[in-house]
Amino acid sequence: MPELDELESRLDALVEGDFQRGLEVFRSKLKEAEASYLNSCVHCGLCASSCHYHRADATLENVPAHKLDVIAAVFKRNFTAMGRVAPGLVGARTFDREMAKAWVDAVFGRCSLCGRCSINCTIGIAMPRIFRAARAALGAMGLTPSDLQATVDNSLQHGNNMAITQEDWVETVQWIEEELQMEVDDPEAKLPLDKKGAKILFTVNPREPKFFPLSLQASAKVFWAAKEDWTLSSDPGWDLTNYGLFNCKDDEAGAITQNLVDAMERLGCKTLVIGECGHGYGAARWEGPEWLQKSYPFEIKSILELMDDYLREGRIHVDPSKNTVPVTLHDPCNLVRHGGICEAQRRVLRKSVTTFTEMTPNRAENFCCGGGGGQLSMARYKNRRIQSGGVKAGQIKDTGAKIVVAPCHNCIDQLMELNKEYKLNVQIKTVAEMVADAIVTTA
Amino acid sequence: MRLLVLASAIWTILAMAFLHHKTKGFGKRTLFSKPAGSPRKGALYAFTRGMAPWAKESVMLNLPSYVAGMAFHAGVFSAFGLMCLALLGFELPFFLLVIAQVFTLLGAIGGLSLFVKRIVKAELRGLSCPDDFVSNLLSTAFALLAFLWTLVPSMESLWLAEGALLLIYAPIGKIRHCLFFFTTRYHLGAFFGRRGTFPPEGNSHA
Repeated sequence: MPELDELESRLDALVEGDFQRGLEVFRSKLKEAEASYLNSCVHCGLCASSCHYHRADATLENVPAHKLDVIAAVFKRNFTAMGRVAPGLVGARTFDREMAKAWVDAVFGRCSLCGRCSINCTIGIAMPRIFRAARAALGAMGLTPSDLQATVDNSLQHGNNMAITQEDWVETVQWIEEELQMEVDDPEAKLPLDKKGAKILFTVNPREPKFFPLSLQASAKVFWAAKEDWTLSSDPGWDLTNYGLFNCKDDEAGAITQNLVDAMERLGCKTLVIGECGHGYGAARWEGPEWLQKSYPFEIKSILELMDDYLREGRIHVDPSKNTVPVTLHDPCNLVRHGGICEAQRRVLRKSVTTFTEMTPNRAENFCCGGGGGQLSMARYKNRRIQSGGVKAGQIKDTGAKIVVAPCHNCIDQLMELNKEYKLNVQIKTVAEMVADAIVTTA
Repeated sequence: MRLLVLASAIWTILAMAFLHHKTKGFGKRTLFSKPAGSPRKGALYAFTRGMAPWAKESVMLNLPSYVAGMAFHAGVFSAFGLMCLALLGFELPFFLLVIAQVFTLLGAIGGLSLFVKRIVKAELRGLSCPDDFVSNLLSTAFALLAFLWTLVPSMESLWLAEGALLLIYAPIGKIRHCLFFFTTRYHLGAFFGRRGTFPPEGNSHA
């Protein structure tokens, strides 16, 4: 495990200045709300069962309150009077190498920032806000796992997180356009590139052109059926992903968000539509304006909301009898719990399939699939990721569904691994793929 | 003794006010994203339906602990109520006294059960620091002494002294959550309310 050794050696090489820098960054990320959270935990431990890591492996280290406590201990020692006067009494700890290691393990290794513990905390501590501050501090100390950082670096250097060249992207779009034209038997069906003044700029996860072109084709089919005025961007503004949400370096996250803003300005579009990607939606919709410290001069929507609009307004028509295989729906944490998009995808699916069964629990109480928080990119924690995903696998099995719809390409990657590991024997699709299959073109 | 309690209460109020002020000093986050919902409605939900046992899976899975915790809190608040009345020289009507006795006794039992749970359960023990035990013991003893005082009035000095100690300790340890519970819950509700997650539309456990 070279990555493991590398992180260990970086931990070993920490000097006093690193800890100081980490603390300064940590402090800079705390506002009134976070300071309140850090003063609130009563160690009741009831949050344990809310965490998919703890459900899969019931150890102390997986209790959300313990993860929080690792961070709070340092906060108390450095930013509270009692932590300085009586550290032993209140559980305050000096920020040293051992604690830095504990931070890395807690916030990178045992948390997908899903926020289920927040909803279930008896007090109401929004723990991911604290864990994000801790990740930022560790980043300032050079302790971001290098594969997670590499994903961010790809976006910064290549304009997308999979380092797809512009030539490859454009060729893929053209190829998908030909496929769409054949599918719908319409030579005018287009995947417009750089269409200035289009109403909508549509953004996608690079996994779509790279591995799942049918997802992009499905979205394009929906736009075609709705006669939408839309475009893709040929420059870096086509990639909706932003792993800056996970390495928590706001300057890098802001630079990636700026790609979207620049594309919107360059093309003069009215609405930025985020494709099916949980973290991409969370990053662009909610965190982007905060990273840039300014409001967007344009509207931003999820494609799920857009498809919901199309169906309600009668711009597209679907025949659910085209999708008769039992379907269940996965709720990506950044889209649903943290994103507030709970019902649109349900309305769309109910109209597009004959048998839709909810997982239990669902919506804001959903379980993370295990792939969130950048876990998919951190190879060193793969075993934990797959193990913690067992909770989601169990939920899927219980529904008896044969298709799992997941409006998130990161989740889809994780679900595909879970499908194999836990022998779920299901297909995994996006919402747009289900809608595209059900579209009635002669209506 | 009454002066000691009064001085302790003033200390608690001032110390809590200082803690609140210090927390406020971290500053408010200016938000630039367009809200999808209402922070106010989210906060309202967080303090009402969002606190119902059935709204939290963590509570439903740990009902005995939840019940013990609720009894514990009710007992400590009842004991404080009794202490205020005792300091002011009021006597409770018999039926109210019986209610206070039930609350304080159940509170002491609840507190003790949580204390034992914290010692016995390895995971909870691992999560605990000395403050967790001190805070519990001071509060449990306060509720228990309040109950005993209703039966044996000569215990008043001991009870008030313990109450003073509890008041002095409150801002020092985790009992400060009597303040931060409200600010934390507000921030949680406002956060999820702004994002349109609170109040939830559908049934998450359907």
